[in-house]
Amino acid sequence: MQVPIMPAKGEKFIIPIGPQHPALKEPGHFEFSVDGEVVTGASLRLGYVHRGIEKGTEGRNWVQTLYLLERICGICSHVHATAYCLGVERLAGVEAPPRAQAIRSLVAELERIHSHMLWLGVAAHEAGFDMLFMHSWRDREIVMNLLEGLTGNRVNYSANVLGGVKCDIDARQTDAILAGLEHLEDRTRHYLNVVTSDVMFLRRTRGIGVMTKDVAEKLGVVGPTARASGVARDVRLNAPYAAYDRYPVELITATAGDLEARFIVRVQELFETYRVIRAILADLPEGGLTVRMPRRIKEGETISRVEAPRGELFYFIKSNGSDTAERVKVRTPTLPNMASVLTLAVGHQLADMPMILAGIDPCFSCNDRMIVVRDPAGRGAHWTWDDLREYGIEYYR
Amino acid sequence: MSAVFALVIFPGGVFILLAGMLYEWVDRKLVARFQNRVGPRWFQPLADTVKLLAKEEVVPDGVNAQLFVVLPVIALAGALTAVLYVPVFGLAPSFSFSGDLIVTIYLLSLLTLCMGLAGANTLNRFSLLGATRTLTQLFSYEAPFLLALLGPAILAGSWRISTIADYAAGHWLILTQPIGFAVALIGLMGKLELPPFDAPEAETEIVAGALTEYSGRGLALFHLGKGVELVVGLTLVAAFYLGGVTNPLWFVVKTLALLVGLAGVQTLLTRLRIDQTVGLWWRYGALLVLVQFLALILWEGVIA
Repeated sequence: MQVPIMPAKGEKFIIPIGPQHPALKEPGHFEFSVDGEVVTGASLRLGYVHRGIEKGTEGRNWVQTLYLLERICGICSHVHATAYCLGVERLAGVEAPPRAQAIRSLVAELERIHSHMLWLGVAAHEAGFDMLFMHSWRDREIVMNLLEGLTGNRVNYSANVLGGVKCDIDARQTDAILAGLEHLEDRTRHYLNVVTSDVMFLRRTRGIGVMTKDVAEKLGVVGPTARASGVARDVRLNAPYAAYDRYPVELITATAGDLEARFIVRVQELFETYRVIRAILADLPEGGLTVRMPRRIKEGETISRVEAPRGELFYFIKSNGSDTAERVKVRTPTLPNMASVLTLAVGHQLADMPMILAGIDPCFSCNDRMIVVRDPAGRGAHWTWDDLREYGIEYYR
Repeated sequence: MSAVFALVIFPGGVFILLAGMLYEWVDRKLVARFQNRVGPRWFQPLADTVKLLAKEEVVPDGVNAQLFVVLPVIALAGALTAVLYVPVFGLAPSFSFSGDLIVTIYLLSLLTLCMGLAGANTLNRFSLLGATRTLTQLFSYEAPFLLALLGPAILAGSWRISTIADYAAGHWLILTQPIGFAVALIGLMGKLELPPFDAPEAETEIVAGALTEYSGRGLALFHLGKGVELVVGLTLVAAFYLGGVTNPLWFVVKTLALLVGLAGVQTLLTRLRIDQTVGLWWRYGALLVLVQFLALILWEGVIA
């Protein structure tokens, strides 16, 4: 029998959240030291679902890499493919036709709807408001079906190919999307009403996890989380890609910086998304879907930025002139946002932790990476695939 | 012989266990339908119980093993004993004595106390925090809940449940004591840790709260105890406030109507943080019911 170890005076009572915990949809490890119910400190460990995708790209050619990268995130798969395609196309010196660019934006916006709806449900569930969870996920099915009708898949749509898109859109699909949007817009209005007027829900969101604009700027927070703190930052506006210069989006910001503001910003972004989709469908350019891509991409390096549903997604792509990328580096929006959780946690109730965490819309497996600070085996800066594999096996043994 | 029958078959024992599972199913099904889900099949609570009873009960390291095993038994026994003093199924209570209302209320609290102890007995940090929250919640709803049930007792001039039930059968006390009715019903939700008062077992924060380490038999017994308490609580509220439960039909109709109300509240509201729960009860619940209590005493003592 174990003897309970009583903490010495001044020692903290630590509540572990993760790696396996009902609040987390993916593994991550948070340690909250609490004084009663109040959190006095927080620490974070990531990396439980590191999959070695960046390394994996080095063994694949340009086309195969596209499908690998699309699987970085199961929710925002399309933006990953878009960021990669735009980067590789720039390296190759080709440009996808206008119709393809418009369809890229269209799918990206449909994906934003499904991601924000999913987030709305998860965040409501963390607060113990399962009604909103179930209903928003039911309505999310509409956009999932639309995506399936358009591309053939509910997730990992593979709408992109290098040099264009693979799926066209016809009048029947246009009608289906417009009808779906009609219903979704109606429901979204209802959700906006709920998150801004439900008294019990507001008790869990208003004034909780307040992040001022200064703090948001300092931590480099991106996406809706930053916009809820009044940081006017959106890649679709700051550096338009795909067809966003043709169909401009309007920036949605809030100034409160609390959880309620994050709810409002995301739900209002849905309305903006509906408007952009309608604009794209009303004015879809004619023309081909793809241009021819060379098998080998000429030497060079580029960065490519897109606005994922969670914020700025950053790609660095380097080619050495062969049919394989020399280096693909991905920075997903969760990584800069994660720091805000630890900063905001202190001083709040333990019950607010799942909400504050969900407030940034975290995606753990997307951002997990391996960082070697000091290698015990004394290996150099370069690790081979076999080294990584061996390290992984040893680590989990 | 009839005492044994009352203890083992009806209304105690087998009947009330099955009734508890049935009411649990109605509650789960209603919440599921309100949330646009399919919900469980009618025998799901029974299937869950059978499955849990068939499973090995893991006694974790670092607990007092006897206490760990015996707490669920005491909890269920408390709830089952309470059944004998309330008019379940519209029939007169099996046993009755002057002051049995107080005994029943404390028998009902035994479940919560046992859960708090069960959580505090383990080394699990989620259990410890859950136990703290369970007991904190107990201290917040218990007094208002007691006062809400004492309102009808004062009017009836007796602390014997059967006398109060007879008095209440002729008077719909919900009309004259709406605050007491609301506090009693919401207090029952707090007792059963139903949403929005489910902070002690908030799964997104502390997994399963005080019962995190329980599996198999212990968990099944705690669940059965909660089901029984749901029936007993609904019976008490229906008998005291909804014009009494004088026959089986009225019993079923009135308790199920209350259950629909409970399911609606569970669906509509967001979970309260534990500090908000305490604030709600002591700032509003307790004060309101006290005001009504004073009014009742004045009415009884001065005017009537």
